Amino acid sequence: MLKLENYEAIINKCSHCGYCQATCPVYLEDMLESHVARNRLNLINQVLILKTMPSTPRFREILDRCLLCTNCTQTCSSKVPVDEIIIAARAETGKSTLGGLKSFVMSKMLQQRGLTGLMGKAGSLVQKMGVAAREMPQLASKPFSQIYSGTIPAQGEQRGRVAYFVGCGTNFLYPDTGIATVQVLTRNGWEVVIPAGQVCCGIPAMAEGDLAAAREMVATNLNLFDLDNVDAVITDCTSCGMMIKEKFSKMLNPEDPLQEKAQAWAGKIYEITDFLQQQGLSDRPASLYASFTYHVPCHRGWSPTVVDAPRELLGNLPGAELRELPDPEKCCGAAGTFFMEHRDLSERIRSHRVEQIEASEVQTVITQCPVCRFYLSASLNSQQVTHPVIMLAQAYENVSQE
Amino acid sequence: MSGLVKDLARLIGDNNVLFQPEDLLAYANDATHYFRTQLPDAVVLPSSTQEIARVQAYAYEHQIPVTPRGAGSGLSGGATPVKGGIVVDTKRLNRIVEIDRANMVAQVEGGAVLQNFHRAVEERGLFYPPDPQSMSVCTLGGNVATRAGGPRGVKYGTTGNYVTGLEVVLPDGSVIKTGGKFVKQSVGYDLTHLMTGSEGTLGIITGVTVRLVPLPPAHRTVIVVCETLDQAAEIVSEIIARGAVPSMLEFLIKLAITVMNNYVSQPLPTDGEAFLLMEMDGTPAQVESDVQTIKEICRDMKAQEVLEILDEKAAQSYWNARSNIYPLIMTIFNRCTSEDITVPRSRIPDLVRSVQEIAASVGIMIGLAGHAGDGNMHPTVLQTEINDEMAARANKAIELMIRRGLELGGTISGEHGIGIHKQEYLAWELDQVQIELMKRIKAAFDPRGIMNPGKIWVEGGAQ
Repeated sequence: MLKLENYEAIINKCSHCGYCQATCPVYLEDMLESHVARNRLNLINQVLILKTMPSTPRFREILDRCLLCTNCTQTCSSKVPVDEIIIAARAETGKSTLGGLKSFVMSKMLQQRGLTGLMGKAGSLVQKMGVAAREMPQLASKPFSQIYSGTIPAQGEQRGRVAYFVGCGTNFLYPDTGIATVQVLTRNGWEVVIPAGQVCCGIPAMAEGDLAAAREMVATNLNLFDLDNVDAVITDCTSCGMMIKEKFSKMLNPEDPLQEKAQAWAGKIYEITDFLQQQGLSDRPASLYASFTYHVPCHRGWSPTVVDAPRELLGNLPGAELRELPDPEKCCGAAGTFFMEHRDLSERIRSHRVEQIEASEVQTVITQCPVCRFYLSASLNSQQVTHPVIMLAQAYENVSQE
Repeated sequence: MSGLVKDLARLIGDNNVLFQPEDLLAYANDATHYFRTQLPDAVVLPSSTQEIARVQAYAYEHQIPVTPRGAGSGLSGGATPVKGGIVVDTKRLNRIVEIDRANMVAQVEGGAVLQNFHRAVEERGLFYPPDPQSMSVCTLGGNVATRAGGPRGVKYGTTGNYVTGLEVVLPDGSVIKTGGKFVKQSVGYDLTHLMTGSEGTLGIITGVTVRLVPLPPAHRTVIVVCETLDQAAEIVSEIIARGAVPSMLEFLIKLAITVMNNYVSQPLPTDGEAFLLMEMDGTPAQVESDVQTIKEICRDMKAQEVLEILDEKAAQSYWNARSNIYPLIMTIFNRCTSEDITVPRSRIPDLVRSVQEIAASVGIMIGLAGHAGDGNMHPTVLQTEINDEMAARANKAIELMIRRGLELGGTISGEHGIGIHKQEYLAWELDQVQIELMKRIKAAFDPRGIMNPGKIWVEGGAQ
């Protein structure tokens, strides 16, 4: 369980070196040391563990002003799981005052999929809050769950069977990612199983410190899939992937009977391009006439190869021109629902990213995070943002047109 | 909100002043929180020299202590505001003002981050060698204030060897510019190099001019595996004696390699007791010939194994791991106190032997790593438990090592500075006449004693 008491020893592993200043998007924007991991940890230690300081609104603000992007966790050689400690501290201090839309999204929409009435409500809430349409994700006319479900057979000789965990981003906002994922998998000899009734992976609720809600979602998903007969669980979203690989087990009590299932998921979860690159493509796409760059999602630490896969899959196709950004791994500022409550900060973080992308003059930006995709799209005028598996699917279309 | 905070807000804007305890906590120490932490009364976040000068003049008028701060990554407690007062965070003065190729110099603001500066000059085929291992975050102003160095010291020297000019806000708020872009200057006292290593006690460094050198076209990493620590130390001495000059020559014990292996893509062998991590740089021919010399020496001295790392990525990952050795070691221990003893290079074998003896006699673990090529070792006292008995042993070991370093003709600090950590040892190295002279210099700069008070020497003067 993500309880602060479980982190009392490891919080002291922070050497106070301060190297986390190098990669914290919030610190690099605010330039306040209070907003960098070294101090967040020290503060949590003083307020919630040692109780030498009171819990104040400013304390809660410092906790809330964290993207949970894990850049500090990845930078930290002392291996302090900063993100988990922040989540545990948020859980301990009670729920933050969630915005109406945000709490609605969290508690209803993500737990109960496919209820069109609910989605309509969400839409009207968006309007009520007066948020500019471009700054809020547009729901797809038809969620992915109404496009594909059940078992989709492999084309040609079957190489194996995979289960497809469909994230909320793909289901509600970007069904095209899901369609491409199914097409590319089946085309390469993989039978795809999409169990009905999937819910959110739980990461947004976990990020809020609402661990009970997150646990509910984890349990629902774990009970829904039978992993005995599949070779892998596929996700197209790096944040779902991180949640499944690193956090599912931590949402459960150590003695929870679901632990075994959580471990099995952790052992079988792959991001789609990572999986395809590792397994190799049996059906070669022949051409991709496009210049593109890769915006690397922050939640990349759970697989050492997830950042190489899109580059390797697409970069060498005929006609493909991959132009690397000066800092491919720089955060876009969206961070789940963070941008809804910290609009000014998120926009400032995004502006640096957008500047680099525009200077690169590519046609397309690829990224495996639906929130990055949405948030960058909202600010880019000349570039489209898409998932690498969609580009790969297009590369196959190019072949069949020739 | 106190009168102090209101006044500071009036001077530089209320968005640039921190006063809530949750914020002050972040500025209460540097990377050595276990020595001492002290909340300042306020933190200011100025963006210009003029803003710093305004704050400084105000502090002077009201006799308020001022502690300048870079990244807070120091290892001596130099940025800890032990007397409270105002912390002046310089990190928003972070522009690279000019890279002047014609004159092979660059000008930066004091808060510019070293790694960003490295990238900017290297993109232009130029090179700024000083490389304190906190380079991903540390600032040029902080580097100057602590006379910081790093692995490249063996061939290229440290920050002090590159600074040619400074902009400094003096304790009374006046601003001076010392030195310049020129290669030579013989005009009065060398204030540039007096400020260098002054640890914030004479003024705040807001601008830095440094000389650059051409970026060496080739470099190669070599790792020597040794059976014993003594053997590794002897090889270091032999390399220096034979005139081979690696650009970096690091001494690492097995423990260091073990933790570094958690960080690198291709783990290193751990079948030796000590390791030398080296880099040769220069023209390709020069690098090749230096590598051959190193190999010959290692053969003559019967090193266990010599590995040439041709894969650039792997080589870089070893150096990155080396930079992170301090936080990496915390995965195993609960407190690590890194010393900074520097001896004449021929005495490295003596120092290495002595440290092992001291560890055994005191009964505490001491990790040995350091820039052996320039005589600067960082024996690190490693504690698995935090209690009074362990702390007493750690202090004992530190004292013995420092005494031994001095007996070997060395110094108590090669590149970290004195701060609060080493102030009680200052008089072991410097005689009373020198310390009193330093205090008179301090008084001439800072008659009211407000600049980073409580640092370098123990207050009261009875040494």
